[in-house]
Amino acid sequence: MDGDAFLARVRDYHEAGWRLAIINVTTIVAAAAPTHAAHGAAAALSTAALPAAAPAADTAPAAGPAPAAAPAPAAARAAEAPNVFEIAWGFVKDGTLETIREQIVAGDAVPSVSEFFGAAFLYENEIRELFGINVEGIGVDLRGQLYKTATKVPFSHAAIKDRLAKNAAAAAVKRS
Amino acid sequence: MKRTTIPFGPQHPVLPEPIVLDLILEDEKVIDAIPTIGYIHRGLEMMVERVEYTEMGFVVERICGICSFMHGMGYCVSLESIMNVEVPERARWLRLIWAEISRVQSHLLWLGLGADAFGFENLFMHCWRMREEILDIFEQTTGGRIIHSVNRIGGVKRDISDTELAAILARLQQLGAEFKETARVFGTDPSIRHRLSGVGVLSMEDARAVDAVGPMARASGIAMDTRLSGTFMYDHIDFQPIVETAGDCLARVLVRLREVDQSIDIIRQAIDRMPKGEGMPLENKPRGNPTGEVFTRLEQPRGEVLYYVKANGTKNLERFRARTPTFANIPAMIKLVKGSDLADVPQIILTIDPCISCTER
Repeated sequence: MDGDAFLARVRDYHEAGWRLAIINVTTIVAAAAPTHAAHGAAAALSTAALPAAAPAADTAPAAGPAPAAAPAPAAARAAEAPNVFEIAWGFVKDGTLETIREQIVAGDAVPSVSEFFGAAFLYENEIRELFGINVEGIGVDLRGQLYKTATKVPFSHAAIKDRLAKNAAAAAVKRS
Repeated sequence: MKRTTIPFGPQHPVLPEPIVLDLILEDEKVIDAIPTIGYIHRGLEMMVERVEYTEMGFVVERICGICSFMHGMGYCVSLESIMNVEVPERARWLRLIWAEISRVQSHLLWLGLGADAFGFENLFMHCWRMREEILDIFEQTTGGRIIHSVNRIGGVKRDISDTELAAILARLQQLGAEFKETARVFGTDPSIRHRLSGVGVLSMEDARAVDAVGPMARASGIAMDTRLSGTFMYDHIDFQPIVETAGDCLARVLVRLREVDQSIDIIRQAIDRMPKGEGMPLENKPRGNPTGEVFTRLEQPRGEVLYYVKANGTKNLERFRARTPTFANIPAMIKLVKGSDLADVPQIILTIDPCISCTER
């Protein structure tokens, strides 16, 4: 993502009197095969509007975060770092909610919006601890103390794949 | 000066819920507070990987035992908007009535806890006696006192007959008359005033800076109420958000006191304006699996709640996220606790009306 352009957009929301309502990871995209990349880029773009259709469903029998395809900039780097997150910053004013959405490759740095919104630190600590997203410059750094979870990073791509495999195995045992 | 770290919670007399704060003190002044909100984290958002979307609503309802109705409603409304299901009018009115009854219930519960925290046990008993009557109404109309499971995607499961509605309204208005005496004690008793006024002051600028929501923001003079956006039949109701300007603990109590009366009035208007009759349609069943995503906002007793639902055409949702009002108010709470006396910390924490089970989804 382009950090400076992103922060400029956040500053606009701040100056126009919007309130930060949520920072939410909307999509967890696991390793897309290169053949799916083109299809995925088109599908991912459509999520920019609200409400909009989600990326086309995959054919995997297991449910949960679907291994849909990566967007164009991420797809280019898919070979070395294929796991992608889409993050939405939600702002509310006079009953309307608008979002800024950015797609990042897992491990990429995301700039903090703490300097504009005092509540941001809580959401940023949360996505760092639950999703393993690297947020830079958090206003109040809680150093991994916010959540005490059994799985260290419960929504990392590896942890999700692990769980989905276990769920599918359990379902198979139930069927047989 | 030497610094001391005092753990506030998870077990603390002021709150039966396990809030966890590490307070860093210099002498008796709090200079920093570090929250932990994962002490009883249940991973309900993760459950969408295993639980089908039709059943997930009942899980979502169990996020919290106080706003359970509105959690179920928020989930169902989200799915309805993704799946383009039109909810019958009577069902929408019934949802509004139940939502407002749960607001009265929640505020009475909180006022009781607040009274208990500043040592007024008799007041606590009175508030909870009244709350018990609200729970009776819930049991009579939904079958459950705490977990109602009356919301379905596409409508509601049960009707309330017109005679029953009239009886409920009479009972609520009787309760509202009784509540006036209790409210008078909260508003005028000199020792309550002494304990609460001027404690934990959140100015309007600070409330904006930390993005506070609900009664917390309204007690600081911000006329913010998600119901004003007119969704879920609130456009048919005449009401103004209740605003206090002092921003201290007393103002937060007064906002909630007045909201009890307001909610009873909203229920009166709703019963007055909803279509009458027996056997009206209550539910349009959705077909197939949902595809799409949506953000839904509702005004819970504690403030704005936000749901994010993303569905990918399978029977399990791809993402579910609930941002509860307590979570949004934690930055405000930390802001208030910093710089206060240790003895005032319980009062301040209690007046944000923290719901820890909401926060630890």
